[in-house]
Amino acid sequence: MIMQEKWRVYLIIGVFLLILIILPFMSNKYWIRIFTTIFMYTTLAQATNILMGFAGLVPFGNVVFFGIGAYLTGILMVDFGLSFFPALIFGAVVCFAFASVIGYPILKLKGHYFAIATMGVSEAIKQIATNIQITRGGMGFNLPLIPLKIEAAYFFFYFLMFSAMVLVTLATYWISRSRIGYALRGIMSNEEGAKSLGINTAYYKLVAWGISAFFTGIAGGIFAYWYAYIDPPSVFDIGIAVRFIIMLLLGGAGTIIGPFLGAFFIELLTETIWSKFLFLHLGVLGAIIVLVVIFMPKGFMWFYRQRFSLSALLENVRKGKL
Amino acid sequence: MLFAQALINGILVGALYSCVAVGFSLVWGVSNIINLSHGIFVILGAYTTFWLFTFFHIDPFLTIPVSAATLFILGFLIQKHLLNYVVGPSQRSGMGVFMSLILTFGLARMLENFMMGIWSGDWRTVTTSYTGLSLMIGGISIPYIRIAVCLIALISTWLLSVFLNRTRTGMAIRAITFSFDGAQIVGIDIAFIFSITFAIGAALAGIAGSLVSLIYSFSPFLSTPYLSWAFVIVVMGGLGSIFGAIIGGVLLGVIESLATVYVGPGYQQAIGFIILVLLLVFRPQGLFGKQFLK
Repeated sequence: MIMQEKWRVYLIIGVFLLILIILPFMSNKYWIRIFTTIFMYTTLAQATNILMGFAGLVPFGNVVFFGIGAYLTGILMVDFGLSFFPALIFGAVVCFAFASVIGYPILKLKGHYFAIATMGVSEAIKQIATNIQITRGGMGFNLPLIPLKIEAAYFFFYFLMFSAMVLVTLATYWISRSRIGYALRGIMSNEEGAKSLGINTAYYKLVAWGISAFFTGIAGGIFAYWYAYIDPPSVFDIGIAVRFIIMLLLGGAGTIIGPFLGAFFIELLTETIWSKFLFLHLGVLGAIIVLVVIFMPKGFMWFYRQRFSLSALLENVRKGKL
Repeated sequence: MLFAQALINGILVGALYSCVAVGFSLVWGVSNIINLSHGIFVILGAYTTFWLFTFFHIDPFLTIPVSAATLFILGFLIQKHLLNYVVGPSQRSGMGVFMSLILTFGLARMLENFMMGIWSGDWRTVTTSYTGLSLMIGGISIPYIRIAVCLIALISTWLLSVFLNRTRTGMAIRAITFSFDGAQIVGIDIAFIFSITFAIGAALAGIAGSLVSLIYSFSPFLSTPYLSWAFVIVVMGGLGSIFGAIIGGVLLGVIESLATVYVGPGYQQAIGFIILVLLLVFRPQGLFGKQFLK
């Protein structure tokens, strides 16, 4: 019975990936671009999932690694003459290192305080990036254009983001079944308890945040090369962080499929609303967030596990009500 | 001379910062809700003053009670019909505590969109006949408006403190911060008190908004700075502490104002955030005490 279930899951994932691989050959540039964005947000949401879904820490300022990845990729390519892939990897490694350095003091904080501290770091780095020379300040930074034809460039970034998304998902899957995953879940349910069992909680939190930062940096680097122009307000935007955190919550934090559901749903929906009612899109997005938080506080995946029952929805409301 | 001028500017504007922060701090301390739409409430207050001034030529200082009342009602309704649905028993642990955060983010986007839809995204200012006048003392110029703004901000904060210490409702609010379960046992209607608390927080944001409209220009999309000031001040002054919010606000105002003069205007905000992170790491209980931090 369980084996059958497993094969069905593999089949669904296989078909899903196959569709995404065929898709760019069947559609136009508009959709390729939208799907590249969706992959980017899935990558970001999945990377955040590693810390948030398993350890229960909400890194509100995770976008700082997105910005650092983007800027380092750009600076290394323009000022140091590296080619794209080494610059990308180097940027992501720096993100890992940076997360380990600031994580040492910050990860001691709990709940809201951790969330705010990461936000503070992110905003401070944004202001610094606006004011120093090497980032060209608030003028923004121009990256070299990719030496490919336009069509080929679209395909290049589509598959690059696609691979980033698949990689981070595999990493999350691996973590969820490894010692790290169990340690992190232990931290989420009872940190003191986990400590008393001899789990080095500080170390596991650092590793989780480091890996999360690494993949966020990768997404940032690809974004920078893709857009070929970045400036501090756009890559250090807290709005991006809030967006991928909401996607994660909507899909279901702590599940592997959740980030996919959240990112696909929100991005496709925003795109539809955007094209239909330009002036309402923020308001509609806000309304959806409000409804989801009240009716499905644990996300789509948990709703699926409750077998889509309406009584479960009402039960959620009842439990959440004061 | 430059130093003295910067210092006085900092103190005057700092009182306004504390008025923005104190409502945010109260709501966070009492009901554990981080209200991401607090900045939007400030802007709504500013618009209330702007419209009353533009259409009916009412003196901006006289519109303050109106914006306080409007925001009080709005805040009460929001807490009663939305936020009370996400602070219940199942949301008191784990990821649940973040639901109110996400919900207020969604709410902020809705209100932002609403404001832009009906009032457009233009930058607005309130310019009265006495806007440019200022008091000169030994080469330091102090605009009259800023003095008034500072005084009103301090008075409203003081009124809040009187309310919390002298009235039954105020004491019920304080009781919840001491012990949630204990308050429930002695028969305090938590849902109602939460609504009142949120309403007071919003009303204070409304007052601050009216004052903001007098000295800054504003638009629906300029709410973030007020929110981030509130964050920094709350962490500085300690959660739920009124005295801490005043000191924190003035301190932040002075630091920012001195940083603008001596480090460069670009670093003004960066310094605020660096202080925030350092405080969280080294003194998470705030500069002055440890109340309300469990």
